[in-house]
Amino acid sequence: MKFPTVMKSVMAGAMLWAGSASAQTEIEWLQWFAAENTDGFYESLVEEFEAAHPDITVKLVTQPFGKVRESIVTDSAIGIGSDVLGLNMPWTSEFLEIGLLEPLDDYLARDDNSFETADLVQAPIGEIDGNIWMVPLNAFPFVMHVNMDLVEQAGFDAPPTTWDEFSEQAIAIAALDDGISGFGMPLSSQPPANGPILTFLPLLYSNGGRIMDGTTPNFDNPTVVETLQFIVDLNDAGALAPGAASRTGGVDLEEFIAGRTGFLISPGVHAQAIEGRNADLNYVAAAVPNNGTPAYRVHGWELGISSGSTEKEAAWTFINFLLSKDVNARVAAASNALPGNLTSLEIVGDGAGDVMQAQIAILANDEPVEELRQAPSAVGSWSLMTEEMQAMLRGDQTPEQAASNVQARWLELIE
Amino acid sequence: MSKIEIRNLVKMYGEHQALHGIDISIPQGEFCVLVGPSGCGKSTTLRMVAGLETITGGDVVIGDRIVNGLKAKDRGIAMVFQNYALYPAKTVYNNMAFSLQLSKMPKAEIAKKIADVADILELTPLLDRKPAALSGGQRQRVAMGRAIVRDPEVFLFDEPLSNLDAKLRGQMRAEIKRLHQRLKNTIIYVTHDQVEAMTLADKIVIMKDGRIEQQGTPDEVFHDPDTLFVAGFMGSPPMNLIEGTVTPTGIKLTDAEITCSMPDSAKIGDRLVFGMRSDDIRPLEDGFEGVSITADVDLIEQLGTENLVHFSLGRDAMIGKTGGRTRIMANDKVPFTLQMQHAYFFDPETGLRIR
Amino acid sequence: MSRVINGFKAHGTPYFFLLPCLVILGALLSVPLYKVVEYSLYDNVIVERNPTFVGLQNYSNLLTDSAFWSATANTLIFTIGSVVGHIIVGTGLALLVNADIHPRAQTIFRSLLILPWIFTAVVVALNWQLLLNPFGVINYGLTQIGLIDAPIDWLGDPAFAMWALLMISTWRGYPFIMVSFLSGLQSIPQELYEAAEIDGAGFFAKFWHVTVPQLKPVIYGVALLDLIWTFQLFPLVWLTTGGGPGRSTEVLSTMTFRQGFVDFEFSQAATTAVSILIISAAFTILYLRNEKQKI
Repeated sequence: MKFPTVMKSVMAGAMLWAGSASAQTEIEWLQWFAAENTDGFYESLVEEFEAAHPDITVKLVTQPFGKVRESIVTDSAIGIGSDVLGLNMPWTSEFLEIGLLEPLDDYLARDDNSFETADLVQAPIGEIDGNIWMVPLNAFPFVMHVNMDLVEQAGFDAPPTTWDEFSEQAIAIAALDDGISGFGMPLSSQPPANGPILTFLPLLYSNGGRIMDGTTPNFDNPTVVETLQFIVDLNDAGALAPGAASRTGGVDLEEFIAGRTGFLISPGVHAQAIEGRNADLNYVAAAVPNNGTPAYRVHGWELGISSGSTEKEAAWTFINFLLSKDVNARVAAASNALPGNLTSLEIVGDGAGDVMQAQIAILANDEPVEELRQAPSAVGSWSLMTEEMQAMLRGDQTPEQAASNVQARWLELIE
Repeated sequence: MSKIEIRNLVKMYGEHQALHGIDISIPQGEFCVLVGPSGCGKSTTLRMVAGLETITGGDVVIGDRIVNGLKAKDRGIAMVFQNYALYPAKTVYNNMAFSLQLSKMPKAEIAKKIADVADILELTPLLDRKPAALSGGQRQRVAMGRAIVRDPEVFLFDEPLSNLDAKLRGQMRAEIKRLHQRLKNTIIYVTHDQVEAMTLADKIVIMKDGRIEQQGTPDEVFHDPDTLFVAGFMGSPPMNLIEGTVTPTGIKLTDAEITCSMPDSAKIGDRLVFGMRSDDIRPLEDGFEGVSITADVDLIEQLGTENLVHFSLGRDAMIGKTGGRTRIMANDKVPFTLQMQHAYFFDPETGLRIR
Repeated sequence: MSRVINGFKAHGTPYFFLLPCLVILGALLSVPLYKVVEYSLYDNVIVERNPTFVGLQNYSNLLTDSAFWSATANTLIFTIGSVVGHIIVGTGLALLVNADIHPRAQTIFRSLLILPWIFTAVVVALNWQLLLNPFGVINYGLTQIGLIDAPIDWLGDPAFAMWALLMISTWRGYPFIMVSFLSGLQSIPQELYEAAEIDGAGFFAKFWHVTVPQLKPVIYGVALLDLIWTFQLFPLVWLTTGGGPGRSTEVLSTMTFRQGFVDFEFSQAATTAVSILIISAAFTILYLRNEKQKI
């Protein structure tokens, strides 16, 4: 009697093993996150996943940020591609045009997901053409980094909260010394030429403005012109750092870290770099000064599934893993950002530093704005905005002309 | 044309002394040849006169000016180089005219000068050609033309014929001599070929190791050498030079004794070098007067007009001469006549002539 | 037939030796070349699985695009300006290095002067961006001397950007000319200079009448090569100014890259690339003809 039982269990075990061996799936995850976090965090995350799901192996394909965008497009051209894609919201429109992304509505509607759709950061979840295309891995608001030493030297005791205060403080700081500026505009033409979306858009949103009308560009509107004028006024008053047309985002950040700029508008995630590189800096993170609308530009790292993937189920299982409360909290901590799954906030917020607390406060209280997912030819449009703003700051054209030029050229670009 | 004085010329290259005080006086219109083996300092001397090398010590006087501090172009010299140094991209005309163009001479004058010189050197049909389209001899003439056109006070030649074949060399030698007779220019000519020196020179300066061995007319240096080196250097075939000892009757060579009158200062038992030109050693049958010896003929060199007879006097090898139609053959035992009145004696240590 | 085979066997061995090289060259050169030309005849390649054939439509679009002509003008300015700069600086430095100075000093200077060529484009671009920054050393020096009143944004001002770029390109590329000239200079017989000296030639006359004629073949060959290389130059321009400010330093190569990988307009990019190919081919034919004449 024992013998047949043993035989049965052995046979069962053999079949199970054979079954799982033939059901072994491999999925590829194309991303740039592991390039920015080099201490092996993502590798160990993958191992953790594979241990919990022995029938799925995940191949981590890491490339620099700029290359990921190109790779996704060129891979699909030759019929290959990864399954899970790390995505940047501004790429959405062009990817949709090519048809690279898989709609996620059905997956999100499932009951057995590790998260509630309502708990996710809403920006990337917004529908385009009636579908949802990506989910947030993490999020970071755009903040204003403040050099409190310069602020106090200029005679103020707190970061500015309104445009008027901002203007006043920036001009005062710029007057302090020869190499000091109030604020920098990184308008270099050098790729990715994203100065406008780094610095101009947050200010625009805090002025209640938008550059899109649904999926159509709408750059030529009064609020945009008003915001452009604000920047021109700052420039004329000498508050802006000289050489905006050759100032890259990298240089902008470096100048702030070196203590030569009073204010820097950029993703909150830069706090890690600032504190890491210059611990002596009396540094504070605050909300971008607003002109009546407490809104912030939200950005983040997103995840999507390639429409050409042959293992979409396994891909969704992996995404589930990454978005689960505990894992997502760890991912947020590793990238010094806020979690895409907002329920993880309580884990992240526990014991977090001032800068993180400030970002959580912004996330909780102010209105998030994200337009670039629907912006057609987003990356190309940034070059146009950069060029027109360069001409504007040079004095070759007015903000009105700059706005209408951008609009005209952008429309031509998407033809 | 001017005279040239070279006074106590010294040249140092760092620690190494190349010239040890050279004194040469060249009167106007003289053709002076500096001759000697490689490294003797003849080219260095010439280049210092030209202004292409700095002068470490001493003076160079051209005409009545000390030219030490002057640049080459201001010294009134013209030079003909060993490798012609013609400007490859310029025509023959422009090669010759270059210096005149630089001095801003009017075009018409330049044309006349070139025409005259081209005529003298038979270069007129070649004026439009580039150097690459010329033969060696033609190139050399262009180089000379370039020098002549400058109307210099002094002509300097730096081994100009070394790159030509034997026949051409002979022709050019004659041309240079003819030119000198016609133009009567003062010339310093450097060569390592003593035949050139003998045929061209009014004065020969023989140099060795940065010093002057002897200077004088071709006749003087050939027939009255001051040193062993000069004796052995001038003349082809070279002078026979055999070591020997003074005896009461004359001189004893390795395996032969020769009876002759010795110089007054030679004492019995002194070691000497005995020298005699091949020209003065003839087979007995040629009928010259002198001391007789018998020797074994080793080989005959036929030159057409005459033959050189290589023979052994015991263990000493010597060379004699005879007519072109001789019957003497190798391995013959032949009696020779040594014309002892043309014998030379040298001190083996100092190399100086014992008169 | 057997004669052909025997003939091939006799003369075919060299071709077998060349075969691996030819195969690799063929794969790496001719296939991409063919593909790019093919792309230029379609619309929406790569972004569309089944692109539409449009024949020469892309070319007529290109020729009517003012951005193309301004990029072409910039490319010509950049190329000719750079090559002229290379020749002047390279020749001058070659003459200096070739002068009668202590051999060890000569070696040191020669090594130092070649350095700009050795750095990669990224290093060169980054360094010069820092140097030319409004807060950078060059502005500081110029204001101290009094040549300018206030710092100039060299790479960000359309009036100066191309000049700044030309200077950087000259700095980067002169060593090639210098090295070629040096070896040419050293093959000129010293006697020619001596003869010129005696003929009364000063420094400039010697340079013009002796050095230049001897170096003419070298100059021509090296300048043509430099023209071909600089015409297609991409990394230095892209990394220094990205074609900006505005499009004032946009050259054909940066335009191609921008169309392809920023705007994802691959058909347009292929068309611009083919235009670069045609012009470069013209220069190359000139160069090969010149080389052939030399033999």
